Amino acid sequence: MNLYSLSKTSAMRQLLLAALVLLVSCTSTTIDEFRQGETGISSTETVVILGRRQASDYETRAEFVSCVGERMGRGENALQIVPEQEFVDAMFPWFEPRTAPLRTRDLERLMAENVVAETMLDFGVRYIVWLDGFTERTDRSGSISCTIGPGGAGCFGFGSWEDDANFDARIWDIASMSSVGTISTDATGQSYLPALIIPIPLIARVEANACSRLADQLKNFVNGS
Amino acid sequence: MKNTGLNRSLLLLLLLFGLSSCGVSNVVIDGSFPTPNINKMPIAIAVYYDDALKDFAYLEYSETGQEEFNIESGKSHVQLFNVVLPAMFDRVVFVDSMEEVPTLGVDAVFAPAIEEFQLALPMKTKLDVFEVWIKYNMRLLTPTGDYIADWVLTSYGKTPTETFRSVEGAINDAAVVALRDLASSFALSFNQVPEVRDWLNNR
Repeated sequence: MNLYSLSKTSAMRQLLLAALVLLVSCTSTTIDEFRQGETGISSTETVVILGRRQASDYETRAEFVSCVGERMGRGENALQIVPEQEFVDAMFPWFEPRTAPLRTRDLERLMAENVVAETMLDFGVRYIVWLDGFTERTDRSGSISCTIGPGGAGCFGFGSWEDDANFDARIWDIASMSSVGTISTDATGQSYLPALIIPIPLIARVEANACSRLADQLKNFVNGS
Repeated sequence: MKNTGLNRSLLLLLLLFGLSSCGVSNVVIDGSFPTPNINKMPIAIAVYYDDALKDFAYLEYSETGQEEFNIESGKSHVQLFNVVLPAMFDRVVFVDSMEEVPTLGVDAVFAPAIEEFQLALPMKTKLDVFEVWIKYNMRLLTPTGDYIADWVLTSYGKTPTETFRSVEGAINDAAVVALRDLASSFALSFNQVPEVRDWLNNR
């Protein structure tokens, strides 16, 4: 093998790697913000992020809620985030899927209960953020076959699919008992799974991208910027 | 020689896999339930769990009529009520039989019963959720055994399918959500049951 063929192989590898990176990062995200009131938060106040789980055919995944919370709680202008399960357990039975307030006037009625108001005060909650949505898999195509035998195992084929993550975030201000805004995010991405003996997954991280963009937008919104 | 050894190992693995997919899977519902954050009612209650509740188990059959899952939820129901009831009432006494009640100086006896249990699996419904639905008969009795109130309560729990979670784990999670739903519904609607409301007003 001479120097020319070595450099050619190296260039091919780099090209393949670049193509793989390009394919993997094929996710597009759209953010819409609708502001209904002024916002701002002090260092002693907290934000709780909750997932909507009233619908019969889907529910907002706890992992997505946790992802948004973690991202909002770090970096520049980080917020103090109350973990969802900790809040829901402390507020039990007032924030279960059957009993959680659906509108701000329901929250007003709820805050009339002294136990609820005291717990809210203990947590120092200023904003409740309701996340509602799910990730859907659409446009599947291709197929992969795998076999196993005494001589070995392997997979052949090519599969691809598109994921669509659609989430809404509604922000409630506890101080004014009103909804102060809505942020919507829609992220789509194409994933590929070529298989030549070994399947090589090239997964578009759609939900992760939706989480990071939504969390950043929410952080700025709550901070009043 | 090597090939024969490999073939034998593969055959053994396939045999073990085949055997493991036969027979009924046992699911014992296990979860933790938070103490309700509510104001207590100034009532003393005796609580009686009959054997049907304590040993409750539901058997799910496959489409071919074979026993598929045996779901034991009696223990978790008892655990749930043991957490919820002391948060609802000033005094709660747990009894093993109705004969113990008259000497306890309580206002009423609470005797819950499970009437129906339903399970919906994604492989059957073609949805991406595991669902549990439970129907209860809640009974409130006087210390001498006469009826004060008798009402039906239903609870519902669901959990989405996840890639690396077992079917048994998902059934457990859906059942725990259903039990939490029962606790929230019962705790917040108890004094709104018409017969209970009348009884509370006339005490």
